[in-house]
Amino acid sequence: MTSSSAPSRKALSKIACNRLQKELVEWQVNPPSGFKHKVTDNLQRWVIEVNGAPGTLYANETYQLQVDFPEHYPMEAPQVIFLPPAPLHPHIYSNGHICLDILYDSWSPAMTVSSVCISILSMLSSSPVKQRPADNDRYVKNCKNGRSPKETRWWFHDDKV
Amino acid sequence: MAEEEVVIEVDAVQAVYGDDCLVLQSYPPHIQIHIKPRTAEISSQQFVEAVIGIRAGPQYPEEAPDINIAESKGLDEQRKNHLITGIQDKACELSSCLMLVALCEEAVEMLSSMNHPEGNCPLCLYPLVEEDAGRDSLPFMKLMSCFHCFHCECIIRWWNWLQSEKEVIPTNLSGPSVRGSRSMLNQRSVHAAAEESTGSCPVCRKVFHAKDIEHVLDLVGAHSQLSSGDAKLNEDENLTELDSEKFRREKFEAILKLQQENSGLIEPRKNEVLLPGMFLPPPIPETTTVSVNETTDPQNTESNVRAGANSSGSSNRPRTSEHRNSGMRKHRGRNPRKQVKQWTKKETGNAD
Repeated sequence: MTSSSAPSRKALSKIACNRLQKELVEWQVNPPSGFKHKVTDNLQRWVIEVNGAPGTLYANETYQLQVDFPEHYPMEAPQVIFLPPAPLHPHIYSNGHICLDILYDSWSPAMTVSSVCISILSMLSSSPVKQRPADNDRYVKNCKNGRSPKETRWWFHDDKV
Repeated sequence: MAEEEVVIEVDAVQAVYGDDCLVLQSYPPHIQIHIKPRTAEISSQQFVEAVIGIRAGPQYPEEAPDINIAESKGLDEQRKNHLITGIQDKACELSSCLMLVALCEEAVEMLSSMNHPEGNCPLCLYPLVEEDAGRDSLPFMKLMSCFHCFHCECIIRWWNWLQSEKEVIPTNLSGPSVRGSRSMLNQRSVHAAAEESTGSCPVCRKVFHAKDIEHVLDLVGAHSQLSSGDAKLNEDENLTELDSEKFRREKFEAILKLQQENSGLIEPRKNEVLLPGMFLPPPIPETTTVSVNETTDPQNTESNVRAGANSSGSSNRPRTSEHRNSGMRKHRGRNPRKQVKQWTKKETGNAD
């Protein structure tokens, strides 16, 4: 991943704007179930409410996802983090960073906010245990100064959860 | 009706459809037919195809056979249902006659009427084909391996982005001067696009070849930069001789083999392979012809492509692609290119 994404917060390109407006309309017509997005003026940052799926460890819990779009979205992946408090999950760090391949190396421009949300909910739902990643403290310490998760070189080792 | 008559009918179906017909059982008949829309064999004009299963019971033909779709390309759920219902209706209509060939023909007819891409471009989310005929639609193209369609402009933009990413990543680690150099790298990246040769479909990640999108490259004025590929080619050859590279390839071969053994790979069907040397087993003359057709056809038929594309494309192509074929064959196995790229990064990265 390039370092061009989050901190500098370049304005969206024309193409990114058009695409996001399309996604916004589609979301309003057909939102993914379990998610609520309160539309604001800010097209570049979406804050989305996630409801844990019934029958899972996260049932009846609500969390907030913050999605920031880079200048060249959808070529570049959006930055997706949980706002505190982040859910306890083996792939979610206490600073809200999510270890999920499609947000980084495996991003494809054919993915949408909606499909990303569904992947995250699915990741939550399949967790057998509520706990932090083993290296949580070390990682979070290294991420001081609001470093973007997109600058982490992630190592996706677990395909079960 | 007598069993022999039904068996004879199945033979007839097989005679009509040849390799496109797979007889799973001759009595009671259970067959699979690979159907394509009528496009006079012009593959670039083909946007849908399907493998239809027809399974009859012992009461056939008094009782209509079951129809299902085993595989399809370019058809969403709605259109698949439409296709199945249509064939079922035909089956009811023909009840108590031997109907297998008639059902297959009905399927071909229906598929021909559905032979257009549907929905939005997965990259910009705007319709591929504008409903309103008065407005100008953007030209679109399809990937030959999976039939996913995109606006030409969108797929090229993504392709160029991908190539520039490939160039940027190694330097990115060393310093902040990356952004400035990107525009300069863009020229090389288009060039690299021709050499690097594979990408994966944004929708299904099926690997495709640079040639697949070459015919639309010149739409963005990049085509001229594709010539003179020799210097880069030498670089590639040097790279393949490095021990570390050999070792890396062996490792990926092993991983790939493991995946194959565990049925973890979805591989393209052999007769749909587009380009010589991509996944082909030792060349069979028939498939070679097919692939040549497929690569040149889009240029002839897509109205947006300048007429020059064909000739300029072929004049500098054969040499480089021949070279690459011999090189590619060695590591043909590790086709999911994207994955390879990831793996490299994982190895160098620290385990966070």
